[in-house]
Amino acid sequence: MNEFYEGMAEVLEVDIDQISPAFELQNIDWNSLAIVSTIALVDECFDVLLNGRLLDACKTISDIENLIAAKKD
Amino acid sequence: MTTSSIGREVKVAGARIAGVMSCVPSLQIENDYFIDKFGEVAVNDAIKMIGVQKRRWVNESTTTRDLCSHAAKRLLKELEWLPDTIDALIFVSQTPDYRLPASACVMQSELGLPNACIAFDINLGCSGYPHALWLGMTMIQSGAAKRVLLAVGDTSSRLFDKDDRSTAMLFGDAGTVTALEVDSSSVAHFIMGTDGQGMCNLIVPEGAFKNYSSTTDKRLNYKNPVFLFMDGAEIFNFTLQSVPPHIARTIEFAEKNTNDYDAFLFHQANLFMIKHLIKKTKLPNEKVPINIEEFGNTSSASIPLLMTTRLKEQLKNNTLQLAMFGFGVGYSWASASIKVGNLKVVEAIEL
Repeated sequence: MNEFYEGMAEVLEVDIDQISPAFELQNIDWNSLAIVSTIALVDECFDVLLNGRLLDACKTISDIENLIAAKKD
Repeated sequence: MTTSSIGREVKVAGARIAGVMSCVPSLQIENDYFIDKFGEVAVNDAIKMIGVQKRRWVNESTTTRDLCSHAAKRLLKELEWLPDTIDALIFVSQTPDYRLPASACVMQSELGLPNACIAFDINLGCSGYPHALWLGMTMIQSGAAKRVLLAVGDTSSRLFDKDDRSTAMLFGDAGTVTALEVDSSSVAHFIMGTDGQGMCNLIVPEGAFKNYSSTTDKRLNYKNPVFLFMDGAEIFNFTLQSVPPHIARTIEFAEKNTNDYDAFLFHQANLFMIKHLIKKTKLPNEKVPINIEEFGNTSSASIPLLMTTRLKEQLKNNTLQLAMFGFGVGYSWASASIKVGNLKVVEAIEL
């Protein structure tokens, strides 16, 4: 998960220590640019393509991880 | 002719590209233009992603046909092709002069092409150039024509809302004309496909004969339906899903290896997307020319514009094995594996 968390910290422009499953996306600007960057990051880390609309509805990092897990199955 | 999960696979023989001429408007819009509208932070964030530093926009009285006609006149002159030797003209654009008649008909008369000239329009965007090459070369292969002009481009600045952050900074205008002629030794491979389920992700919802409504699609709320709507995340997803296998299958269908290619020409959709595609497919960076920073996303013109700006010298003096990939609006996608070179004319001009 480290590569993913490092990437998320970069995408969200926050410190890596702040990234945890509980991280609240509404505290930052969870906009379309961040969503597109996240799609690319997840594709790179897990070879999984997430849907933009589902990502848009995510409230926390944990929600994103659930989407990834669901896609992997 | 074969079919794969990627699309229709076609080999066309007997035609080559004789010359390419691009024409861009002289008005250059830099990123400063957007700071008053969107603020510096938003502009910088968007530019970091899309990678466009400047773009060309037409004025209110100039159309794609104007750009293409200007390019065509110059191309014919430099090729020393008389207008009455042109057998067919295909105009590929989403920004025609009129809803009718076809802009190709207007161009036929404007350029002084003969009445015995096949002329019609095709409504395609990002995937338009490989489609046009396939059709034009097929016309030559069938014997229907010996010389064909492909006028390909868009003036997207007339389609989007200059106050819409998701489209205003991305697109630029350009018109291009490619001349095709008989050449018995040439062979080209094409793969083309379509998925109309993506129609609602890149659309001008109103202005033709059907209104695509915001009551059924909430994303269109507060958007002016006469302007271009784009769902960037959906388009991005479509691209990541469809383009890597399309690249692999194109190389395989042409019975080549990655190393056999001198350049891979991608529709200049968005810099972040192109970079991600290069990384994912492990193509060598130096074989993927880019010009989105200078011209923005120029729709169907982006591939020929790459040829006339980034490969100009090579295409004049050598023959290059090229792979071309257009993908987007529709959704529609098309690729070409083709040798291009020793071109008498390969140039970009301004109007």
